[in-house]
Amino acid sequence: MPIEFKKNRAIFRNEVSVEEAEGLLEWLQTRPTAKADLSALSHLHTANLQVLMTAKTGISSWPNNAELRAWLEPALKTAE
Amino acid sequence: MSSLPMNPLLEQFLSEARDLLESIGTKLMQLEDAPNDESVLNELFRCVHTLKGNSGLFTLPEITRILHAGEDLLGMVRSGHVSYSRALADPLLEAMDFVGLLCGEIESTERIDVSHASHSQHLAEALRKLMPGPDACPIAAEDAVPNDASSVFAKAHSPLAHDPSRGLAQLEIIPDAVRTAAIVQCQQGEQLHWIAYRPHRECFFHGDDPLNSSRQTPGLMWGRVVAPEPLPLLAELDTYSCILGFDLLTNATREELDQYYRYLPDQVEITAVRPSWLVKGQSDVDGAAEASSAANRTLSLSENNEMAFNKILAAQRQILLLDDRPAWHAGRLKAVAEVLANLSQVAGDVSARTNIKAALAEAQSTGYHTLLLEWIDAFTSNQPEVNLSSGPSSDDHIVARRTEENANTNPAPDKDTSKALAEDGIKFGRRAEDTLNGPKSLKVDQAKVDRLMNLIGELVVSKNALPYLADRAESQFGVRELSREIKGQYSIINRIADEMQDAIMQVRMMAVSSIFQRFPRLVRDTSRKLGKEVQLVLEGEQTEADKNIIESLADPLIHIVRNSLDHGLETPEVRLAQGKPATGKLTIRAAQQADRVVIEIIDDGKGINPAAIKQKAYEIGIIDEATLERIGDQEALNLIFAAGLSTAKVVSDLSGRGVGMDVVRSAVEKINGTVILSSELGKGTTICISLPLSMAVTQVMIVESDQQLFGVPMDHVLETVRIPRSAIHAIKQSQTAVLRGRIVPLKSLNSLLGIAAIPQANSDDELAVLLVQAGSAELGLLVDGFQETIGVIQKPLIGFLSNLSVYSGSALMGDGSVLMILNIREIV
Repeated sequence: MPIEFKKNRAIFRNEVSVEEAEGLLEWLQTRPTAKADLSALSHLHTANLQVLMTAKTGISSWPNNAELRAWLEPALKTAE
Repeated sequence: MSSLPMNPLLEQFLSEARDLLESIGTKLMQLEDAPNDESVLNELFRCVHTLKGNSGLFTLPEITRILHAGEDLLGMVRSGHVSYSRALADPLLEAMDFVGLLCGEIESTERIDVSHASHSQHLAEALRKLMPGPDACPIAAEDAVPNDASSVFAKAHSPLAHDPSRGLAQLEIIPDAVRTAAIVQCQQGEQLHWIAYRPHRECFFHGDDPLNSSRQTPGLMWGRVVAPEPLPLLAELDTYSCILGFDLLTNATREELDQYYRYLPDQVEITAVRPSWLVKGQSDVDGAAEASSAANRTLSLSENNEMAFNKILAAQRQILLLDDRPAWHAGRLKAVAEVLANLSQVAGDVSARTNIKAALAEAQSTGYHTLLLEWIDAFTSNQPEVNLSSGPSSDDHIVARRTEENANTNPAPDKDTSKALAEDGIKFGRRAEDTLNGPKSLKVDQAKVDRLMNLIGELVVSKNALPYLADRAESQFGVRELSREIKGQYSIINRIADEMQDAIMQVRMMAVSSIFQRFPRLVRDTSRKLGKEVQLVLEGEQTEADKNIIESLADPLIHIVRNSLDHGLETPEVRLAQGKPATGKLTIRAAQQADRVVIEIIDDGKGINPAAIKQKAYEIGIIDEATLERIGDQEALNLIFAAGLSTAKVVSDLSGRGVGMDVVRSAVEKINGTVILSSELGKGTTICISLPLSMAVTQVMIVESDQQLFGVPMDHVLETVRIPRSAIHAIKQSQTAVLRGRIVPLKSLNSLLGIAAIPQANSDDELAVLLVQAGSAELGLLVDGFQETIGVIQKPLIGFLSNLSVYSGSALMGDGSVLMILNIREIV
C-alpha cells in the first residue's frame, strides 16, 4: 500500500495514485489531528495533495525528494 | 497534420460531431428569428462548447481553432457584448459547414489535409473580427492551439502582457534565489515563460495528474501550488474534482511548452516573461522605474482603474511585508514609495506625494515601514469596493477573479454541483455510478439492425413452412392429430414472429424531422441568394417511416424545395404587385395516412402554367402535335416529370436545367411511392408524395401462369375478376373487355413475359383477369389463376439478374421455393 495508515499517522511511500485519495479523505475526516509522514514519498497525485491541503494535515516529515518537497512544503504550510 | 488511427473514440467523436453540427445549424437559424431567446443561445453555446471540447481530445487544431473562435463569439453574444444578427449568422454557419467538411474528411481519409489550415485560420479570424476589440474578451487571446506559429505570436498579447501590474504581482512570489537566476538567464538572452496552469475540475477523470504534469514541465525553474478558489471544508471536498492550480516559471521555449501542453491548451496560459517583471523593486532602480511607469501606463489605459489599483497596491503591500532584509532594502522602499506616489497622482491626489515622502523617510530611518503600510491601507479604504488582504492570498483573489471571468463563458456546471453537494452534506464514495442517469437510447450500427431484420425475415419464411408440414402430416402420413398440433404451434410462432417483425420495424422507424431539419438552412440560403423572402413552415415533423424510405426521400425533397424557391415563389416586388404578402410561404407537411406517409410541399407562388408546359414539351419533342391538342391541364402538369423539361428561362446553379423533376419521380417510384402535382396559376403549387411506411414487408398477391407462380405487389392490384371468353373483344391487335362500363385493355401475362403459352380458362370458360394500376392507366392481366395474398420480405435481384427489370425482386416462400415479384410498371 502506498499509504500506510497507523493510529494517527499516515505514512506515504513511493507513488501515491489518484485511487488513494478517497480513502485518505475518509481517514482524515475522522482524525483531525492526524499527521502525515511523507519522507519516502516520490510522487503524490494532485487529488491527494488537495485532500491534504483541505484537511490542513500536519506533516511530521517532509519528502526526502528535495524537488517534491519544494512543491509540497509551501502548499501544505500555507494550508496549516 | 498527423494522421490519426481510426479508433472507436474518434468514430464516436465524428458521429457526435455530426449531431452537434446539425443542432448548431438549427439553432443559429432559430436565433435569427428570435435573437433574444436566451435558452436557444445557451443551448447553442453549449453545443459549440461541447464540440470544441470533444475536438480537443484529438490533434485537430483546424477544427478546434474555428470552434474556439465561434465559442468566444457566442460567449460575447451571451454576455450582451455583441448582438446577434444575420451578419453574425453567415460566418458562423460557414465556419460550421467547414467543420462539417473537415469531419467528413477525417472520416474518409482519417486525417485533415494540411491545405485546410489556412482556410481554418481565415474563418477563425473572420469570427474574431466580429468581436469588439481584443481586450474585451479575456479568452480570445488565449486561443491556445498547439503547433501553430501564428497563434504563438498572437499570444504575445496575452492578459499578463497587457497587465504588467498583474505580472508583477504574480512574479513577486518567486523566491529571490530563483528570481536572481532568472534575471541572469534573461540577461543572457533566454526567454522565460510564466505558465498559469488551471486544470479543469474533471481533469482527474481524463487521467491527468496536474501536479505530475507541472513537475515534468520542460525547463522548469520554479513552481507552486495555488488554490484559485478558497479551499472547501473537508466535509465538502470532492476528491475527484480538481480544485488546485499551478504557477510555473520555465526557461523552455514556447514551442516546447506548446508541445508539452498540447492536450491542455485551454487549461494553461503561457506568457512570455519580460525581464523587467522579474525585477523586484530595488535591486535595479531602472527596472523598478520601468515597472512603475508600466503600471502607470496601464492605469491611464485601463477602463477599470480600480482593479488595477487593487493589484498594484497588493503588490506594493506584499513587497513591504517581505520579511527579508537584503542589502537593497532601502532601494526597495524607495521604489514602493515612488509607485504609491504615482498611484496617488493618477488618482488625482497630488498632495499625497509629501505624505508618502515623509513615510518613506521614516521607514528608511527606522527600518520599519508601518507608515507606508498605513498609507496603503488608507489609500485602499478610500477606494470603494477594494478588497485587499495581505500575503499570498491577494493574488489568489486575482486568480479567482479571472476564474470567474472564465466561468462566465464556461458553462461547466461546477458551481451548481458543488452547491448541490454542499446541501447534501457529507457523501462518501461519490462516483459516477451514484447518479446514473445515462441516455435512454442506444446508438446502434445500422448493419446490426439490418442483420436482425434479415434474421426475422428468415424466421417469417421458415415459419411459413409449418402449414405445409401440417398438410403433409395429414395427407401423406395420415396423422391428423399431429397435423392439428403443428397448426396450433404454428399459430403461436406466427404471432410471435409478427410481433418481432413489428418491433424491428419500430426500431427502423425514423422521424421525418431528420430530413426536414436541413430545410431551414436550405431555404434560408437559397432564398437569400435569389433575393426572395420566404417563410418556411414545417408540419408533422414527428411522422415516422422506415429509415430507408426517409433516406431515399431526402434528395427528391431537396429538388422539389429548390424548384419551388426558384420557379414557384416570386420576388417581393412581384408579389406585392400581385397583392400577395411580400414574404412567400413554403409549407412542408408530413402526415401518416393509413399505411402510407404523405408529404406535401406547398408554395403560394405563381403556380405552373399548363399551356407553357405543353408548349415547351412540344418544342423539345416530348409530345407530338396531336397530344399537344388533346391533353388536359392536369396531364400537362404531369409533363413536368418528364425528362429534360424546364420552363425556367435562365439556367441557374439552383435549378432549371431540366434535371430534377424526372429524377424526383424515379426516386420516389423506386421506393414504391407516388408523386402528384397540382397547381393553380397565380395561387401556388402543391406536390404530394405518398410513400409506404416500410419497404420491409411487401404484400403480394400470388398469381399462376403457365404453371409458374408470380407475385404482384398489392399496391398495384385493383381487383380480380373472371371474364367469360365471349366478353373479350379485339380492337385492332389488342384485346379489351368492358368492365363496369369502362373499357379495359387486356394483356396476357405470358406474352408480356415471352412465355409461349396461351392463358388457360377455367371449366366455365372464364379467364382470370388481374386488374392492375400501372402509373395512371388501368390494365387487365390475363393469368391462369389466383392464389392467396402473402407478406414477403422482398430481396432485390443481384448480380446478372438485376438487369431483369420486369422483376422488382424475389422472395422466399414457406416451402422453400422462390417467388419472383413482377414489376408492373416495367412489364406493361
